[in-house]
Amino acid sequence: MNNKIVAGMVTMAGVAGLGIALSGAPALAQEFGSPELIAAAKAEGKLVYYTANFAEVEQQVIKAFNKRFPEIQVEMVRAPGGQLITRVKTEAAAGKLIADVVDHSDRSLMQPLADMFQDYAPPNAADYNPDAQISPNLWPRATLVWSIAYNTELVKDPPKTWMDLTKPEYDKMTGQVFAQSGGTTWTRIMFERQVLGEDYWAKQATTHPILYPSGAPMADSLVRGEVAMGPLLYNAIYPKQKDGAPIKIFFPPEGAPVNPYATGIPKTAAHPNAAKLFLNWCLSKEGQTFMIKELGNLTSLKEPPIYPEGFDPKIVKVWLPKFDDYVKLHAAWVADWDKTFGYRQ
Amino acid sequence: MNGQAGRRTEVTRSGGEGMRRRVLAGLWVALLLAILGFLVIYPLLTLLLGALTDTNPVVDGFSLRHLSIVNFLAVLANPNVAEALFNTLIACGGGTLIAVVIGLAFSWIVVRTNTPFKGFIAAASILPLFAPPLVAGVAWTILGSPKTGLINTLFKWAGLDWRVDFYSLWGLVFVFGIYYAPYVYMFTSSALRNMDPSLEEAAEISGASAFATLFSVTFPLIMPAIVSGMLLSFIVMLGIYGIPAVLGAPTNISVLTTYIFKLTNWSPPLYNTAAAVAIILMVVTGALVFLQQKVLSGRSYTTVAGKAYRPRNLDLGRWRWFTFGLGVVYLLVVVILPSLALIVAAFRKFMFIRDAASLFDMRQYSLMHFYSIFDNPLTMRSIYNAVEVGIITAVVGGTLAFAIGYTIHRTNVAGRRSIDLVSTLPVAIPGLVIGVAYLWAWIGIPGGLYGTIWILALAFIARFMPDTVKALSTSFLQIHRELEEAAWVCGKGMLGTIRTIVLPLARPGVIASMTLLFVLAIRELGSSLFLYTSNTMVMSVLLLDYYEGGNLGKTAAFSLVQTVLLGVLIGGANWLSRGAAQGSVARAG
Repeated sequence: MNNKIVAGMVTMAGVAGLGIALSGAPALAQEFGSPELIAAAKAEGKLVYYTANFAEVEQQVIKAFNKRFPEIQVEMVRAPGGQLITRVKTEAAAGKLIADVVDHSDRSLMQPLADMFQDYAPPNAADYNPDAQISPNLWPRATLVWSIAYNTELVKDPPKTWMDLTKPEYDKMTGQVFAQSGGTTWTRIMFERQVLGEDYWAKQATTHPILYPSGAPMADSLVRGEVAMGPLLYNAIYPKQKDGAPIKIFFPPEGAPVNPYATGIPKTAAHPNAAKLFLNWCLSKEGQTFMIKELGNLTSLKEPPIYPEGFDPKIVKVWLPKFDDYVKLHAAWVADWDKTFGYRQ
Repeated sequence: MNGQAGRRTEVTRSGGEGMRRRVLAGLWVALLLAILGFLVIYPLLTLLLGALTDTNPVVDGFSLRHLSIVNFLAVLANPNVAEALFNTLIACGGGTLIAVVIGLAFSWIVVRTNTPFKGFIAAASILPLFAPPLVAGVAWTILGSPKTGLINTLFKWAGLDWRVDFYSLWGLVFVFGIYYAPYVYMFTSSALRNMDPSLEEAAEISGASAFATLFSVTFPLIMPAIVSGMLLSFIVMLGIYGIPAVLGAPTNISVLTTYIFKLTNWSPPLYNTAAAVAIILMVVTGALVFLQQKVLSGRSYTTVAGKAYRPRNLDLGRWRWFTFGLGVVYLLVVVILPSLALIVAAFRKFMFIRDAASLFDMRQYSLMHFYSIFDNPLTMRSIYNAVEVGIITAVVGGTLAFAIGYTIHRTNVAGRRSIDLVSTLPVAIPGLVIGVAYLWAWIGIPGGLYGTIWILALAFIARFMPDTVKALSTSFLQIHRELEEAAWVCGKGMLGTIRTIVLPLARPGVIASMTLLFVLAIRELGSSLFLYTSNTMVMSVLLLDYYEGGNLGKTAAFSLVQTVLLGVLIGGANWLSRGAAQGSVARAG
């Protein structure tokens, strides 16, 4: 077991005053929680999981979790980001919040709700990059990273950098997810303007990209050949490449914008122990490794256990937005983006 | 159902009994209005409140402090809303025109001509109803995309220099038209079937040609059915999200529903603005309903009287093969082509199709997507839930609609006009927005409605009440009062008359309405999105999830599963009800 994790757990145990006898329990199970927590979670037997991620993707996470803890059933409610937030707020106000875990891609929507969530930290809390967190009780359960992908059947001279996407020869071949779609895209367009230059949007707009409401339909269009290339969340396109679609993906050298999720356990959770165990597992090295390898995520662990295929940390630097900017610049910059790309709202 | 306290009653019965009936009638109207209040008015008020404030009524409390019309004015002033409204009117107007031509033509072919294989054409005319809009949209993007569409691929293969582009307003009009023709067909075919042919015979004896008879006697006589079918198909198109979402998105063509969906899906979501846009939709629909009533009022359309008749068939001679050919072409365009597209997508590993040869390369096909959807435990659960919600909605909603329809059309009780109005209101609100309104309105109700199948069923009953009541009204309008009066004269009571006269005569209509309700409930997406919980996930929500997840293969595979399931269930119901309906018609005749 990683020394850091053990250290983290010792700190946790000390802080909590639980005095867990580390030597007594099986080493592996300790990574996910104390024997008491595991027993209590098994006694609860289930949890309700609200997520803004795709149901299908999360179904795989649940399956992997159930390999480790088959006794705990995870019931999932999935909705797109904006709808999920409305539902959570409305349920909470009516005193009917069913969720034991709320998992959201847009941290700026979750921050105002931080008080709704109970104190929670995983055993390996110390291993996480504090910049990925917006509140001590909300954790980056999933961390998504942007890449560029192209259809190998249609592109013979592929782009190699973010700047290449602005080349006139790719006119009418590119696709993009529009700015208003949510937290992950907002991170990318912030990166483009702050890192690639004030005029990057304008340059890219001259290639007449097709605009998509989210990365998933765009990934599908890329496979079908409706568009030939474009920026995509790695986890939206990687599974298709894994299945054998004519796709190549790379991480451009100018930087890889990442978007950590904000995930927490509401104070009203009816199955708090099962919820904790589930999040402990997701945030553990095992859970994060699974999400990187099988789903194409990145991680907010300070020392990633592995990297996605083709991600060389020596060449590609991870780019995390400043949360202050993330909140403050949103309205004005998205309006600018819409104007630049002629997107009508 | 003691609403028949009209003048006739009082004439034939004693004064004391008339009083008792009046009280009962009042109670009956009050009961219906109370049910409608809960199902329609209350959610609608929360929606209106939402449109006029910038708050979430549940989170911030039902307060009128933030009341302003800023949202509303902002929406009215936004040129993009105007554009979406314009696109909506073009798409739905054009679509309705096509739907009326197709629907009317086929109902005439099926009911009134000796075209061969009529049963087959009748089945083809109804089939598009089974396809959820999202599925229709997906099928037509596979077929009609300007870049990768199968139609264009095949044109290229055949060496033809033709191109189709369904990512356009005209593509939208075409797909709307062919998919919503069944609404017109359903209304007009039952009207044609119930029509007394002696009027047509009279026209022909007077020397009118078959064609002239059709346009001067037949169609004018079934005008209420045509207008109702037209109106309903237009209104249903107004509320459709799936088709314009798939076909309009690539070229950024917005209609009001996709615009509303965008507003609720943005980050942060703009529900209050969405509610304000929804009000515009309501105004458009309200105007249409008003128009329909203006057109239909003051005329008598009863053609089913207490006389026996036999529907007759027109001998088309050699032309009957032409009408048969029309049926085949329709089947090809509406059912076979889209189904083939879905089958290709469902069985093909990837949808990149370089050329026609690659389309027939069998190595590209597998059961991968089917394995994957049935590996997902949500799939079976969603199917089970959807069927359960569908049945509850059909039975409870159908019964309620019958009660409302009867009260509106066959009684003179005070308050029936308000019942008519209120039960028509939900038609005007897109499912997505009414979904939020239901959530806002009903989540706080004690007793734990939220989180059960029933909240979904109630939402569907309310949302589709106008469709069901309108579908039933046609049956009521065509049953002449003299039949009921005959029962009265013979001493039957109110309920007895309904049981022995109205129900048997209206039975095909009632069963058709319940079937319609079942299909609509299974397909309904917008209002489910907010009301389902982990235990009550339904098929349409899962289908959207597959689609939004960018899994065209899984979306197509699940669409096929859903289509086959609906076909089997409805085919079964139809087969069961046909015997019953025929039996009752024989008895009534």
